[in-house]
Amino acid sequence: MRKSFLFVVLAAMLALAVIPAFAQETVDVPVWIAFTDENRLGWAQDRAVEYNEMFPQYNVTVEGYANYEELFAATALAAEQGTLPAVVQYFEVATQDARDSGYFKPIAEAIGDRTDINGIAVNFDDFVGPVREYYTIDGVFTSMPWNTSSAIYFSNMTILDAAGVDTPPTTWAEIDAACELVMALETAPEYCWTFPNHGWFFEQWIAQQDEQFANNGNGREERATEVSINNDGSVALLTFLDEQLAKGYLYYSGAQGGDSWGTVDQAFSTQQVAMAAYSSSDTATYTNVGTDNGFEVVASFLPYNEVTGWTGNLIGGASLWLVDGLSTEVEDGALGFLLSINSTENAAAWHQLTGYIAVTTSANELLTEQGWFEENPNFSVAADQLAQSTITTATSGAIIGAFPSIRSVVTQAVDTALLTDEPVADVLAAAQEDANTVLEEYNLLNAE
Amino acid sequence: MTAQAPLLIHVIAALIGAVYLAWRFQRIQVSPALGGMIGAAAGAVGSAIFMLPLNYCTFESERSLIDAVFGVLLIGIGMALVVLPVDALIRSVVMRRRNPNMGGTAQAGAFKGWLLPIVFLAPTLIVLTLFLYYPSLDTFRLSTLLARLGARRTLFVCVDNFTSLVSDGDYLNSFVITIFISAAIVVLGLALALGIALLAYQPIKGARIYRTLLIWPYAISPVVAGVIFLLLFNPTGGIVNYALDNVFGIKIGWLNDPTAAPWAVIIASVWKSLGYNILFYIAGLQNVSKDIREAASIDGANVAQRFFSVVLPLLSPITFFLVITNMTYAFFETFGTIDYLTGGGPLNSTSTLMYNIYEVGITNNDLGKAAAQSIVLFALVIGLTVVQFRTSGNRVNYGA
Repeated sequence: MRKSFLFVVLAAMLALAVIPAFAQETVDVPVWIAFTDENRLGWAQDRAVEYNEMFPQYNVTVEGYANYEELFAATALAAEQGTLPAVVQYFEVATQDARDSGYFKPIAEAIGDRTDINGIAVNFDDFVGPVREYYTIDGVFTSMPWNTSSAIYFSNMTILDAAGVDTPPTTWAEIDAACELVMALETAPEYCWTFPNHGWFFEQWIAQQDEQFANNGNGREERATEVSINNDGSVALLTFLDEQLAKGYLYYSGAQGGDSWGTVDQAFSTQQVAMAAYSSSDTATYTNVGTDNGFEVVASFLPYNEVTGWTGNLIGGASLWLVDGLSTEVEDGALGFLLSINSTENAAAWHQLTGYIAVTTSANELLTEQGWFEENPNFSVAADQLAQSTITTATSGAIIGAFPSIRSVVTQAVDTALLTDEPVADVLAAAQEDANTVLEEYNLLNAE
Repeated sequence: MTAQAPLLIHVIAALIGAVYLAWRFQRIQVSPALGGMIGAAAGAVGSAIFMLPLNYCTFESERSLIDAVFGVLLIGIGMALVVLPVDALIRSVVMRRRNPNMGGTAQAGAFKGWLLPIVFLAPTLIVLTLFLYYPSLDTFRLSTLLARLGARRTLFVCVDNFTSLVSDGDYLNSFVITIFISAAIVVLGLALALGIALLAYQPIKGARIYRTLLIWPYAISPVVAGVIFLLLFNPTGGIVNYALDNVFGIKIGWLNDPTAAPWAVIIASVWKSLGYNILFYIAGLQNVSKDIREAASIDGANVAQRFFSVVLPLLSPITFFLVITNMTYAFFETFGTIDYLTGGGPLNSTSTLMYNIYEVGITNNDLGKAAAQSIVLFALVIGLTVVQFRTSGNRVNYGA
């Protein structure tokens, strides 16, 4: 029953695949990314058009998915049905899943000894340190960096100035002090600050305190078998957030994960809050929303726990993975596109358009030469924050299986800590147990 | 487990089946011996329905008591699935033999053979089999596995996915939430719809326009309803809180307060289904005969009496129908609204059974547990419908 059904579907797909092959001689190179906005999807599609014009033998098509999680699920389904594209954008937390899945081939392995692909030069050394480091797994350059960001802090300086706060807060205590002044204003906003309840911010704030997320060197030495989210750093973090909420400083929208971004956008752009932790990916949007609505927005490093000090922050964002088992023509077409998307001009333009850091040294030099960073200081914050970070096991970020599922356990814990009177330590202990069950089940199904 | 244990299970099941059918057969004056034989076969087959695919794993010695209890329950369900239909079938055959005139003859216009109707039915049957029955059956297989999309392998975990639900606080919590939200949607939705229908039904100027406008929300998808109310209920920038603040000086955390969030979902869902309910109530009211009302009026019934003693009972078929459709709506179709409005939060306060399945299966990628939960939900809805038909069915007045 199942086989005959598959056969019918396969026959239909084969027919669909064969018919267009007669019509055209170009090689199709499908690329799946997790953006649907005109800004980012449109930009990638424009690059594909350029590339196809330069290399008429290829037909690169870029298709957008609503978010990382959805693309992640779509890729697993496509793999099951044997319909994977040539390139997939996977977010940083899917790294272990990507390795275990066996869907992908390391970029360095696909390139081999070649110094260029169809005349496009290969130069891994051009990628800035933290980025190259992050996407090199087991000593092999694995996936192509593209949208790389870090968690930073945006302040509405018009409100802060009115409250007598001259510079954005750099520590948790400074947030508290600034908020006291802001909320005392006659024209005080509804709340002082907010953050997206997304697992990434929890990870950032505990990494700042040099706390690991998982065992076995954050999963970088060996497969992680246990998470360690119940630690002093996370207790301090949730206690701080809970106090901020109780004082009426912190706005918590109740939205978790992917849904949480929009609620922060809305609160910050309508000036219901004076400050917000956010991803540097939207530096352009956040800066412009201030300009358009008559307030000044200044970006700064993500404030840290003054008791433990600042070790560093994590990279976030996603990279482009090359699917394994492609024909040589498709693979070369894909590699060429991946290299061209990070050409000096493209990497610089992508940074200017969004706020993702410029991933190559040459792009940074070009931008500096053009005076971009001097005119737009907000745009250098994320790169500076990553450059000044001390690379430790904790700040390298965790590599663990089922990370997307574990993130939802973490955001649930933050939700519970903020909305109930349960002691923070109990909430974290329960979350650690839940997350360990998920990880254990994942490893049962995936470990060698 | 010893090798004889499976055999023992089927022997006991056969005995129970035999005794039951023998007793049933005796009641319709058919040989109890025949009933005993058929019952034994049916009982044995029924007990194997779930146990053979599970390979009797629930009774293995290293399994806990709760697994064994669940196993006995599965055997019972399997037996009921075979024995009861066999009983019903034989009864109807016997009754038809004794009363040849009762229904059994072919009516004019019916197909004579069986081939032609099958051919006509085939397109539907094929689509249903491929896209409904086969996936549904596969859900049962999936529910016995530890499985993740994209994983290298799956593991057989017997009935763990089911029995672990008993101690899963989040799951039990979603039960309570589902019952609360569904009951509120049905009660408020129907009461409000009936009230509006009573007004819209009045023969006033422009009644048609009012009625058309009232039905509009029904044409909107649950997702769009979710987005509309997301904007209205937004705690900081939403118009609802703006109005409440200006008029009463209060602000409600519609989306970030666990006591208020279920009400946001209820209000959005009631609004969304209102048009549909009004439509049916207007149609129902138009069918209430004027003569009856006039008669009641002449007998001295006032407006309230006429409504509660005459109109309302006459509307009971419509109400019964609407209770069932609204219940189904509250169970299954509020999903889109919840996803966009609250995402199941805050504190899981709007995570209904349906939404919980989505979170476990899609967000957490735990396919086996999600399959188990969806089977439980499936059984619940069947049970609920049966109960509704049994209890409300007799009191529903379908008129003359």
